[in-house]
Amino acid sequence: MEHSSLAGRIFRGVALTLVLVFFMFPIVWIFLMSFQSNEQILRIPPSILFEPTLSNYQALISGQLRTTAGNIDIPFMRNLMNSFVLSSAAVLLALLLGVPAAYAFARFKFKLGETIAFTLLSFRFAPPLLVLLPLSLYYQQLGLSDTYFGIVWVYQLIALPLILWIVRGYFEDISPDIEHAYRLAGHSWREAFTRIAVPLAGPGIAAAGLLSFIFCWNNFVFALILASADKQPVTVGALAFVTASGIQYGQIAAAIVLSVTPTLLLALYAQRYLVEGLSLGAVKG
Amino acid sequence: MSMAQLLQTDTTARPKPRPRPRGRWLPYLLSLPALLVCIAILVPFVTAAVYSLQRYRLNLPYLRGFIGVDNYIDFLTDPAFWNTLKISLVYTAVTVIAELLLGLGIALLLRRPTRFHNAVSIMLLLPLMTAPAIAALMWKLMTNPGFGILSYLVSLLGVHDFKWASDPSTALFTVVLVDVWVYTPFIMILLLAGLRSLPRQPFEAAALDGVPASFVFFRITLPMLAPYIITASLFRLLDSIQQFDIIYAMTQGGPGDRLMVFQVQAYLEFFQYTNVGRSAALLMILWLITNILSNIFIKNWLRLRERAHGHA
Amino acid sequence: MARLELSSVGKAFGSVRCADNLSLAVESGEIVAVFGPSGSGKTVLLRMIAGMFEPDEGDILVGGQSIVGAPPERRGIGMAFQNFALFPHMSARDNIASGLRAKGAGGDIAAKVASISSLLKIGHVLDHRPRELSNGQKQRTALARALIGNPEVLLLDDPLRNVDAKLRYEMRLELPSLLRRGSASVLYVTQDYREAMAIADRIAVLIEGRLVQVARPEEIYAKPASVAVARLFGDPSINLAEVTPVAEHGALFADIAGTRVRLDTGDREPIDLGACWVGVRPDDLVISHAPGDDAIPARVVAVTPMHEKAVLLLRFSDGAEWLAALPSTTTVADADDNVFVRFAAEASLLFDRATGVRIGLPHRRQAA
Repeated sequence: MEHSSLAGRIFRGVALTLVLVFFMFPIVWIFLMSFQSNEQILRIPPSILFEPTLSNYQALISGQLRTTAGNIDIPFMRNLMNSFVLSSAAVLLALLLGVPAAYAFARFKFKLGETIAFTLLSFRFAPPLLVLLPLSLYYQQLGLSDTYFGIVWVYQLIALPLILWIVRGYFEDISPDIEHAYRLAGHSWREAFTRIAVPLAGPGIAAAGLLSFIFCWNNFVFALILASADKQPVTVGALAFVTASGIQYGQIAAAIVLSVTPTLLLALYAQRYLVEGLSLGAVKG
Repeated sequence: MSMAQLLQTDTTARPKPRPRPRGRWLPYLLSLPALLVCIAILVPFVTAAVYSLQRYRLNLPYLRGFIGVDNYIDFLTDPAFWNTLKISLVYTAVTVIAELLLGLGIALLLRRPTRFHNAVSIMLLLPLMTAPAIAALMWKLMTNPGFGILSYLVSLLGVHDFKWASDPSTALFTVVLVDVWVYTPFIMILLLAGLRSLPRQPFEAAALDGVPASFVFFRITLPMLAPYIITASLFRLLDSIQQFDIIYAMTQGGPGDRLMVFQVQAYLEFFQYTNVGRSAALLMILWLITNILSNIFIKNWLRLRERAHGHA
Repeated sequence: MARLELSSVGKAFGSVRCADNLSLAVESGEIVAVFGPSGSGKTVLLRMIAGMFEPDEGDILVGGQSIVGAPPERRGIGMAFQNFALFPHMSARDNIASGLRAKGAGGDIAAKVASISSLLKIGHVLDHRPRELSNGQKQRTALARALIGNPEVLLLDDPLRNVDAKLRYEMRLELPSLLRRGSASVLYVTQDYREAMAIADRIAVLIEGRLVQVARPEEIYAKPASVAVARLFGDPSINLAEVTPVAEHGALFADIAGTRVRLDTGDREPIDLGACWVGVRPDDLVISHAPGDDAIPARVVAVTPMHEKAVLLLRFSDGAEWLAALPSTTTVADADDNVFVRFAAEASLLFDRATGVRIGLPHRRQAA
């Protein structure tokens, strides 16, 4: 079924090379740019031979940006910190709330469970602004707008459905008899849940948690609407930074590198779980 | 624990009537948080539906009132709405078709699970794991008319003054390019998983019979892969018609109204023109479209799955 | 002591009645096999006792106290599952010890694990995870886990179902003494009548959610309560013929394929009976080449070796087919031979054709 004619092999080689260049080049290029001074970036023709400088990163970390119009403060490190805090808190909360619920959906067949699962699923496909815009008005009334808690709570709309649908599948794959056996050995249902069901669904929980973290981190529109500058994550912060810094392209590149590095490292580290989570999350819901 | 101790804690009457089975409330307790999230979705959703039937401007609160479907009727004669509808549909069609073809092609290239192929498929995860808004910024840097590497490369090909996203004639192409860069790997991953899970026998039988490759592809591979293709395109379709991050980060809907897709338009209606009613009506229409699309696709998916199983 | 008692237990799932007015007592130290075809409600019965779901009606008592409504962990029950249900992420040792640890048994855990695992010959694999164990070792680990806490009630759900034939044979010999080590009331579910007869003190026959007979193994074999029970016990299964017995000269006779044969009346006065089944086990048929008034002429259709016997498929002149099981050492007949079939009157069982219930009281004989 595989063609191993010479022409076929050459064609496949060329095609794969083009694919790799198209998908990898932007990442590599921005990475290189982040180590270049503005003069080097603006040089025509561009060259990949340059003397690397860390000045872009230093400026970002110090939070002081030198522009032609003088120094401006850039809270980019704070954005980075916000991304960590918001995404981690959202995933932790979603795991805390979602894993027991996923267990209930898997073990007890009850109507409310099915209704919840399908409501969450169908709103996975609804326009996020449809929920977010009215929610922003409610948030103002409730005093939740521009609070970490408020943002973590709306991030549940991203993380919780993902966790519910992926982890539920894993719980369903565990034979209930294993839990029955553990209970007959003298353990309460809570012990059976924490010491049998959760460890056995561990890979699924890890996949769902990682995927949720990445999706929360990468989210843009939720924080754009609900957070002001000092609570904004990197996705929104980077955009504001581009507007503020004007032509400091090296620093923009460095900011981009800092924003994507955590998720890309996580993705590489956990690629096995991730592919499984993506396909399962997609196929099952 | 002895039975005697046990029975002290067991207060159920016996022998009859039977007590209610214990723990009936447990599943409900466990799913309470999920229920709360559901409510947190449904309340704003219903609110949005109500807003869409109101004259509701944040800057003119005293004008607020119920106006029936007037917001919707206004759209019929509003060229801005038809522009939004057109741009959204074109954007969706172009991105999904391009990503599907490209994703299928790459999946076929990587079909054999060699070490190299697996490494490539892992590398292709990286664009997918990049925040779309950040990806748009990356491409903005690369397509800068002054120093962008891509601008330089097309100038080498003799195309000067290629303005990418800032030129109305090429803006759509540019954002589609970013969308393709980010989301093709998603389709590729699903189709690769599908390809690798197909049963071998039909392919082995075809190879033994010397069936031509094109016949194998169109009559065996594609039909058996159809459920995966439908699932992957459904996901992309629903995401694509709601695209916000890439377009907003790249051009905020511009130049002019060239890229004014649904969610960007609704966002601007809300925050720039503070017209809540109109914004909500726009989003309700988008929601309706996504519902229709997903229903059509799910029906086809079920039909195709049956057929694919028949083939296998 | 911990007598297990079911009193009028009923359970339905939707319109399916899995348990219908079940009453059964298992004495302390007794092994009762619950035997029946698949889908007869055996597993549902065990699971109600274990507390995985509750009966709709009736009561379940251990040592005279109701356990209905109590959570599984407080019922004092040990259970071995058909699919073993070992904890995949724990070593065999931790699997076995889990119950003792939950009860906080303290320092003697190691000693107890060592003793039960040497008894079950799995001492050398205690540090292995379940996936590194053979099926037989898994099964023994599951048994050790069920036995170690000396539970008052021991439930075994077809524990030999998923092990190979050799191991099943060994375990059939070992199990009775293992299960009698403590003073547990043992319920042993199986689909294999030989296993039930080899292991149990009594057998409870469950068909479609009802207990149709509870008795000692040899009694069930010799005096099945109904034609359904008679068919479940015995391999090859019992031969049946439709007859209408008549009483003559102080004896009971029936016509099988044109031959008048004498039937057993036990110590009862023979009377004319209505439509009946007569049943004769294949082991009780005598095959010879000698014709006679009491012998049914038959043609041997096929001879098949089965277990330690030779099974003959016989066809009578009216087309009915019976099986005869003979010791394979004796070659009485070959295929296509014409032979004559006899059986002792005491070997015949009579069942009412309408209800399937056994009629009369044949002599008790030893099980084959």
